[in-house]
Amino acid sequence: MKRTLTVCPYCGTGCMLYLVSQGGRLVGVEPSSTHPVSRGSLCVKGWNAHAFVHHPDRLTSPLVREKGELRPATWDEAITVVVAGLKGVQDRHGSDALMFASSAKATNEENYLLMKLARRVFATNNIDHCARLCHSSTVTGLTDCFGSGAMTNSIACLDDTDLIFVIGSNTTEQHPLIGSRIMAAARRGARLIVADNRRIRLARHADLHLRHHNGSDVALLNSMMQVIISQGLTNLSFRERRTENYPLLAESVAEWTPERGAAVTGLTPGEIVDAARLFAGASSAMIIYAMGITQHSHGVDNVRCCANLALLTGNVGRNGAGVNPLRGQNNVQGGCDMGALPEYYSGYQSVGDPAIRQKFARYWGGSDLPATPGLPLTRAMDAALQGRIRGMFIMGENPLLSDPDQTHARLALEKLDFLVVQEIFLTETARLAHVVLPSACYAEKEGTFTSTERRVQLVRKVVEPPGEALADWQIISALARSAGCGGFSYDGPSEIMAEIAVLTPQYGGITYERLAPHGLQWPCSTPDDPGTPILHREQFTCGLGRFSPVTYRPPAELPDEEYPFVLTTGRTYCHWHTGTMTRRTHLLDREERAPFVEINPLDATRLGLREREPARVTSRRGSIIVAARISTIVPPGVLFIPFHFVEGAANLLTNNVLDPESSIPEFKICAVSVRREA
Amino acid sequence: MTTSPPSLYQPVPCDIVSVSDLTPDEKLFRVIRSDGAPLGHLPGQFLQISLPGWGEAPISVASSPTRGNSFELGVRRVGSLTSELHRRGAGKRIGIRGPFGRPFDLLFLGGQDLLLISGGCGLAPLRSLIQYCQDRAEEFGSVTILHGAKNPDHLLFKNEISSWESTARFACGLTVDDTAPGGCYDGNLGQVTSLIPPLQLDPLRTVAIIVGPPVMYRSVIHELERKGLHAGRIVVSLERQMQCGVGKCGHCSIEHLLCCKDGPVFLLSEIEHLRGAL
Amino acid sequence: MKALSDGQLLHFFKCLEKDWEVRLPVTLPDGTRTLGSLKDGPIALLGGSLPAKPTGAFFPQEEEIFRLSERELRLPLPPERPLFVAGFTSRDLASLLFIDRFFADDPKDDLYFRRRQSALVAAVTGWCGPGGSFIKMTSKGCDLELLRDERGWLLLSHSEAGRQATQELPEGDDPLRLERFVAASASQSNDDELLLSQAAELLRADLVPDSFWNEIGDRCILCTGCNLVCPTCTCFGIRDWRSASGVERIRMWDSCQLEGFMREAGGHNPLGSEALRSRRRIHHKLAADLMRWGEISCFLCGRCDATCPTGIGIVSVMKEMVARHGGPANQRSR
Ligand SMILES: Cc1cc2nc3c(=O)[nH]c(=O)nc-3n(C[C@H](O)[C@H](O)[C@H](O)COP(=O)(O)OP(=O)(O)OC[C@H]3O[C@@H](n4cnc5c(N)ncnc54)[C@H](O)[C@@H]3O)c2cc1C
Ligand code: SF4
Ligand code: SF4
Ligand code: SF4
Ligand code: FES
Repeated sequence: MKRTLTVCPYCGTGCMLYLVSQGGRLVGVEPSSTHPVSRGSLCVKGWNAHAFVHHPDRLTSPLVREKGELRPATWDEAITVVVAGLKGVQDRHGSDALMFASSAKATNEENYLLMKLARRVFATNNIDHCARLCHSSTVTGLTDCFGSGAMTNSIACLDDTDLIFVIGSNTTEQHPLIGSRIMAAARRGARLIVADNRRIRLARHADLHLRHHNGSDVALLNSMMQVIISQGLTNLSFRERRTENYPLLAESVAEWTPERGAAVTGLTPGEIVDAARLFAGASSAMIIYAMGITQHSHGVDNVRCCANLALLTGNVGRNGAGVNPLRGQNNVQGGCDMGALPEYYSGYQSVGDPAIRQKFARYWGGSDLPATPGLPLTRAMDAALQGRIRGMFIMGENPLLSDPDQTHARLALEKLDFLVVQEIFLTETARLAHVVLPSACYAEKEGTFTSTERRVQLVRKVVEPPGEALADWQIISALARSAGCGGFSYDGPSEIMAEIAVLTPQYGGITYERLAPHGLQWPCSTPDDPGTPILHREQFTCGLGRFSPVTYRPPAELPDEEYPFVLTTGRTYCHWHTGTMTRRTHLLDREERAPFVEINPLDATRLGLREREPARVTSRRGSIIVAARISTIVPPGVLFIPFHFVEGAANLLTNNVLDPESSIPEFKICAVSVRREA
Repeated sequence: MTTSPPSLYQPVPCDIVSVSDLTPDEKLFRVIRSDGAPLGHLPGQFLQISLPGWGEAPISVASSPTRGNSFELGVRRVGSLTSELHRRGAGKRIGIRGPFGRPFDLLFLGGQDLLLISGGCGLAPLRSLIQYCQDRAEEFGSVTILHGAKNPDHLLFKNEISSWESTARFACGLTVDDTAPGGCYDGNLGQVTSLIPPLQLDPLRTVAIIVGPPVMYRSVIHELERKGLHAGRIVVSLERQMQCGVGKCGHCSIEHLLCCKDGPVFLLSEIEHLRGAL
Repeated sequence: MKALSDGQLLHFFKCLEKDWEVRLPVTLPDGTRTLGSLKDGPIALLGGSLPAKPTGAFFPQEEEIFRLSERELRLPLPPERPLFVAGFTSRDLASLLFIDRFFADDPKDDLYFRRRQSALVAAVTGWCGPGGSFIKMTSKGCDLELLRDERGWLLLSHSEAGRQATQELPEGDDPLRLERFVAASASQSNDDELLLSQAAELLRADLVPDSFWNEIGDRCILCTGCNLVCPTCTCFGIRDWRSASGVERIRMWDSCQLEGFMREAGGHNPLGSEALRSRRRIHHKLAADLMRWGEISCFLCGRCDATCPTGIGIVSVMKEMVARHGGPANQRSR
């Protein structure tokens, strides 16, 4: 029996665990007792992190489409076909007819390499990853206010804070070991405000539970700020020393009296006043948010409001005080850091900046790099439908299930001249590909993941990949070499990290040697920099914190007579995204085996729906049948459907409207009807 | 003699002899151990049906040990294993473990009037006892069989019921929750509980046995108690999720009892005070 | 009685490796202690009970039931060499004896005894707990006992197999040294033992209202850790994988805190609420097993309290339960 320290492959909490292996097979998991986040615990997904790895459905050899069917192929053949296919598109339609989708499940090194491949080899900035779907609004919004789009604090700050304000995060289910830490804080006496329409577990422990209407966050937060300003509860000295643009903010929220806020949010004015006073009265406060804030057509505005509230009360840059977007995937922070984004190289260095471009071009060798920002993933689907994107390379993502408006996504992918999918299982998306490349999963390769608290941690190889599967970084290197491009020969991921460190200021001091055992929190710019648990201590990344006033915009689609319900979507505790791993994990699969819709008992009675009966849920874009789950977690008029299940795909219903600034889709709200299915 | 396999968890190979449709969702499988040996079960016991690749499921033996070495299983298609079983026809191989569980206490039932009440699939395990009573009629008093189904299409063992009715001292009562529009069913309508009040029974000579879906028990017990039957004369067979069938996996526990080992057949008096038993 | 230094003990373990598969407490690279082999890291006999259950050596998180290929069914082979497992505290040994009894109960679980049968079990006791605290001596359930004091190790054999394995070690010469352990063991008292019996009594008398379990249930994030680390948790699930080359069937640790644990195909779930599942976890140890096996099956090893991310391990729950519902007023009103 061997035990290997590595990082949990599921959420961004970043627990470290030991994989137990015997005779080349994983047989179990033990939590790390000394890791600052896991501390001897894991959530149910972590405890089962070994269980999908040897599943017989794993892809074991490259597949190439021939006469409409995918057939096994050698690596040589597959790589040749891929390079020829991508080059073909490039030659016929130009570089920007290619789109590269990177993955928050892949390591930093692999994300970096794919972005290098896209920019250096195929000369396009069309590279993005699923952060587009979860926290692109954070990157835009927080960068605007603070100069950096990451969690400002460490998870451990929850132990020292005076108040926690959770808005749009079902933390105990989505980031369980952060959720449990919030519960522990509440039990030790920290105040807890939960703003969430659903009666989530944390709400049962809150001092104040605000069930505001979906999509009314800007109204709620602006009203809270109005109360804070009008009652003189702002942190004056912080405002004066550390911020700018205050007058504009004050002006913009002046009209948001609690009464006006109440009218939009469905709360009482008293609740808004209570929340504001409680928040402003805390000596230190942590704002925790996730997809309930970001996945809106006004996601960036929501994020700005959170930042404004923190600036107004001086809750940034201290132990226990900050704005904390919880990043969903294990390495979505790293995916962003590594520049798997259309407008940035690694370290959020802009592609529009000639000096930066030159720096990368010089290091990478070769000629000019493309200067115009590329397409975000969510716009790429439209572009594919319009024939502007002709070839796509997707690494470890399943957009067919995870993108909004599934029908639209399918049409777009089917229209492509050339689609390559690099995957561990034959996902719904992979089934559409011209070439499928089998990759190693987290337990079969080395690399690093960056957790939500900016902690860069080592992922270690425990077992061999199945069949001929290779690590993503090996595949990308092989592709680049086959395309005749130098600078892609690495001995291993640590060598890639060395290159990342040279080119990326925040990662400048990071080496594999320094990462053992529990990683470093970026920014870590020099070899002796101990890392940064709390950002913006002395000053903001952009100097002064910038108040960024926000005008309220309602969600794009609100209920009406024909579609009288609000549908909100998300995940369940036991499943991860499109379920490729968790639905192949016995205990997790058993927990939630089929799609369902949460509906309030009042609505269910009115519709004659009984528990577990089939319900048909319809939006303007599609219709699905799922089992009714009658529950007071959702208020009347609101439905919740998880998006894990192909056989009842929530994303057939969701609305593909995008935030104008971040291009994040509005997953959290659309209008639907529901009825009993005979 | 039947030999037991080297591991508690190793299935014994069996062959499907024949398959017939009982209802749109239920099939009757006639099965024999591949070595031809008798199953060695008693009415009320169950088997772990093992289909490697699809897992295992507890299924009651639906035939009496008095009827030869082959045995029958009445199986409703509800999930992965049962669907796979439904795809298999005569000549195909399946695995079994067992028989497991406490059977009906034939000594205790001897000489008594039996009132057998079932809903849905619950008639399958009772059929084993019914056949036994047919074959050993002298050992029992009267046998009354009450059965409820959701609609006429789902009435189990329809063609056998007439044979049961024609057995001396046997009586049957059937009912359905719903009739299909345009169907030709002209029997009772309503829950199986509605068949109890009209019965004439001697509470000191009668033992009632109930097998059915979880929702059925309380209401049936209520009616029986109104007839003067006490908990020591009411027998229930309970369903739980079973993974091992041998008292190890823990999935079937009812407080300190294990349904697979201490049950599935219980006297009501043994379990009525236990949390979550019914 | 044998007396050994740290170095001699290490040498003893190394010699054992010839005939045994040696598992003992070691320190992993980040300081986590676990039951490993000598090559996994430095020996870590000091520090008290290990975070993972040592009974996992015999009932591991995942284990093969059989493999089926074409027409041949293969059962897993017994381990090449018998197991030597060191690192049990007295509480761990009580747990081991309990699950030995559980798995041996007719019908005997051959998978468990495949590993357990010829294994040698060694307790580690004495001044070796966290921060040098004392761990009670024990002779029940182990073949060997390693006793720690400031001079090093004493080694007692409690079975014939233990005596044979230690034959060649140097004899200890100081009888007084052993007496110190005996005296310290006798003077050990544990408040939690009292708590255990009070809590069990409350459950037996049904004095804990459902509202209590609702509250505990609200605080459980269903991580399943409490079950997975508990040395007396024996529940398992069974899973099949089929591939081109055949079928593998395994069993794995399961958890009664999961909603799917008892849910039946028809949707009925005897443990259908968080409150019922939380109650089950505690009631099983304190009341159900007492009824069935004549023994409370929590031996206060402390693991569930250590791993529970929300502070509702069994000791915390018992404390809350007794504080809130165990008052004399309550008792009398019955
Ligand atoms: C003592 C006993 C006797 C039974 N007799 C019969 C019978 O004669 N005829 C019949 O049609 N059905 C019977 N059942 C119910 C039958 O076992 C379930 O319908 C069956 O397990 C469903 O398996 P599945 O794989 O098709 O369903 P799935 O839902 O796919 O099963 C998934 C898993 O859950 C377990 N499981 C789910 N529901 C049950 C359940 N109700 N009982 C036990 N395990 C469950 C299965 O073991 C399996 O591991 C009996 C159950 C018990 C406990
Ligand atoms: S909380 Fe997140 S990182 Fe930790 S074990 Fe669970 S899924 Fe893994
Ligand atoms: S303390 Fe917890 S883990 Fe240890 S035996 Fe008791 S219940 Fe099990
Ligand atoms: S360890 Fe705690 S949170 Fe986890 S399942 Fe057990 S009681 Fe619940
Ligand atoms: S079915 Fe496993 S203990 Fe009863």
